[in-house]
Amino acid sequence: MRATVRNGLAIFTPQGFLDGNNTSAFLTIEDIDATLKLNVDMLLVSLKKVVFFNRNGLDVFVKLFAKMRLENQTTVGFCDYDSKKFDAINNFYKNDLNFSLFNTQENAALFTTTFKNKSKNVLLYSEDKSQRSAMAIELHDNGHNPVIAQTKEDFTQKCANKGAYDNIIKNTFLGQMGQKVASRVTGNAIIYTVSSFLDTEIGSNFNIAYHNNSLNVGFRLFIFDAYKVISMNIHALNFFSKLASSAAEYNATICFVGMTFDKTPLTFKENMEDSGIMFYDQMDDILQNKELLEELGASSAANVKNKRAINKLIVSELPNFIHATVATIEMMTNSKAIKDAAQVHEISVEEKKDKIASSIGFYGDMDGMVILIFPKDIAKKACELLIGEKTEDMELILDTLAELVNIVGGKIKTLLSDKHISVDITLPRTYHSVESLLEITNGRKGVQVDLSFDNDKFLFFLTR
Amino acid sequence: MITKDKIDFFIDKIPPSPKALRETLSLLNSGELVRAAHAAEQDLALKAYLKHIVNKPIYGFKNEVSEISQIFGILGVSSSQQTVYNYMITLLSPKKWILFKLNAHTFHDLQARLSLKWKLILNHLNINDKEIESAITLLPASIIVSEALFSDKIEDVNLLRSVHDLDLNTILVRLCKIDLFDICELISKKWDMPDDVAKIIQASSGIKPSKDSSINALAKWMHLLLFYELSQPTFVEAGLNNFIDFQIDFVSDIYDDFAQVMEIS
Repeated sequence: MRATVRNGLAIFTPQGFLDGNNTSAFLTIEDIDATLKLNVDMLLVSLKKVVFFNRNGLDVFVKLFAKMRLENQTTVGFCDYDSKKFDAINNFYKNDLNFSLFNTQENAALFTTTFKNKSKNVLLYSEDKSQRSAMAIELHDNGHNPVIAQTKEDFTQKCANKGAYDNIIKNTFLGQMGQKVASRVTGNAIIYTVSSFLDTEIGSNFNIAYHNNSLNVGFRLFIFDAYKVISMNIHALNFFSKLASSAAEYNATICFVGMTFDKTPLTFKENMEDSGIMFYDQMDDILQNKELLEELGASSAANVKNKRAINKLIVSELPNFIHATVATIEMMTNSKAIKDAAQVHEISVEEKKDKIASSIGFYGDMDGMVILIFPKDIAKKACELLIGEKTEDMELILDTLAELVNIVGGKIKTLLSDKHISVDITLPRTYHSVESLLEITNGRKGVQVDLSFDNDKFLFFLTR
Repeated sequence: MITKDKIDFFIDKIPPSPKALRETLSLLNSGELVRAAHAAEQDLALKAYLKHIVNKPIYGFKNEVSEISQIFGILGVSSSQQTVYNYMITLLSPKKWILFKLNAHTFHDLQARLSLKWKLILNHLNINDKEIESAITLLPASIIVSEALFSDKIEDVNLLRSVHDLDLNTILVRLCKIDLFDICELISKKWDMPDDVAKIIQASSGIKPSKDSSINALAKWMHLLLFYELSQPTFVEAGLNNFIDFQIDFVSDIYDDFAQVMEIS
């Protein structure tokens, strides 16, 4: 069974009945390996469409969870259940609950660091006081506003206040949370979350390929959310110093937020500052300060170092890139594409009005970036298949567009892999307007292909 | 990806049911088992299917049953008619399955399991109606239709489903405004199957409840039975478990009864 992956959250959704005989057919080691390769923060099995399960059925999943946690530090568990199912799981694993339980997928997403919608008002209740605190801390660290109900009565009363909360968390249990260095995108800044003791492990937990590619795609501000860091040793110090040196080549800035030096030598801070790393007490000191953001490079993503030419290898694979894009848009719109022109030059958009854009990077045996510029109408039509209805909600369209571009990226990856070219893809980025996209592509040359879908002009641009 | 033209083409190329088959069904319908067996003997593929299916372990016969008259005699009118309809549906199945990891053997297994358990359910509900008994035979047609429409689009479907939890039926509706169960109904009409068969199948999708409460009640049992069978390891491995959406709320009021009939503990 394949997982659905969105915003760093992978969900497997078995349907029907789960018992000891069939569970291993639902979820195999290969399924999990394929999912973990997508760098997910959290991997959950949804019980929404399961009408019956027993302990033997869940045991197979739980054993896989333990293996995954050991190998990848991914947060694992179950989600989408009612009170009856929650009680049953608690009964099965009374003293041995080492995985997480989230009453809904949406609530689980609040605990992933890649969840884009911040500042949710979240009401939470758990009979276990330490769980209440743990959830509140996690939510707060992820940029939400948790409100804790202290008693069941308090919870019922607060629930009655409809509209006051974006999310209501109950029947939830936080098992061991992931220790990976997770990343999320806020505007033009990338935020990495680090916690506990930073030592030599940071080298293996930090996705350096993703970081380098983010530099390449045009991100210039990298913030390490270090509120939960207890201390760091010399190996971690060396790692961050090297990271800062390589960032300097791109004119990028690295900041640490919330780092205390109670248990870390103060000389480490001085060393890091000498490498160009900046320290701030609060995340908002940076994110709410527009002038500072501009100074740090977060709003101007012009690529200083990297104006590489597209190479022969990329050009030779151009048909695959175009095929993946065209086939996906055709699939989503049920319409035919016509190729109008293909030329190598800087990106050129004649009519910028009513257009939105998206980009996705790829790296590995070859690296570069695919940019797609959609007339809003095509974007809306393409997203209808995923949303299920017409919508004018621009945020929803941009979110769905990101999913669509993810499909394009996945297809490119498959097509290239058929030719024994191995690449990974980054998270897709979307742009409200062509102007904001052009800041990224400033001065870069690439292959531009103009396409028409039902007479609507659509632009494909491949660059490095 | 899938267009209305592709669906129309699929429906158009469904052949009319063979003459021997129509005659067998007509005679079974009037209760003439001996003459029906004689008619069935004329269709060698039907004869082979009947022999193959009733000698499966799930039917539990100790000795091999080889004569058609013997088979019809053991099964009785309703179950014989049901088995012949099952054969009709297999006429639509592909020589080679691509989308689902199935073969003729596992597909026949699914048909046999659904048919026998449907009979258990009807016994529990005290329903003795050969048309209702036959209704279950049309349900696996939805699997064949999915295979026919989506088999050359596996990669697209997989990519789509990797970012969004969509079942094949929803994809079809959003693309062509027609669902798998509508196509099953078209098949049943083309093959002159009883009207109630199509009505029960439509409601058993779980997303189009019937206004007729008796049909709706049967549809709930059928929907739950389908997912009980699609949770079997063979069919999960075949990729059938999530080809359509399981409507858990639709069946919640009959679950306890179902668990009792199927002896689930």
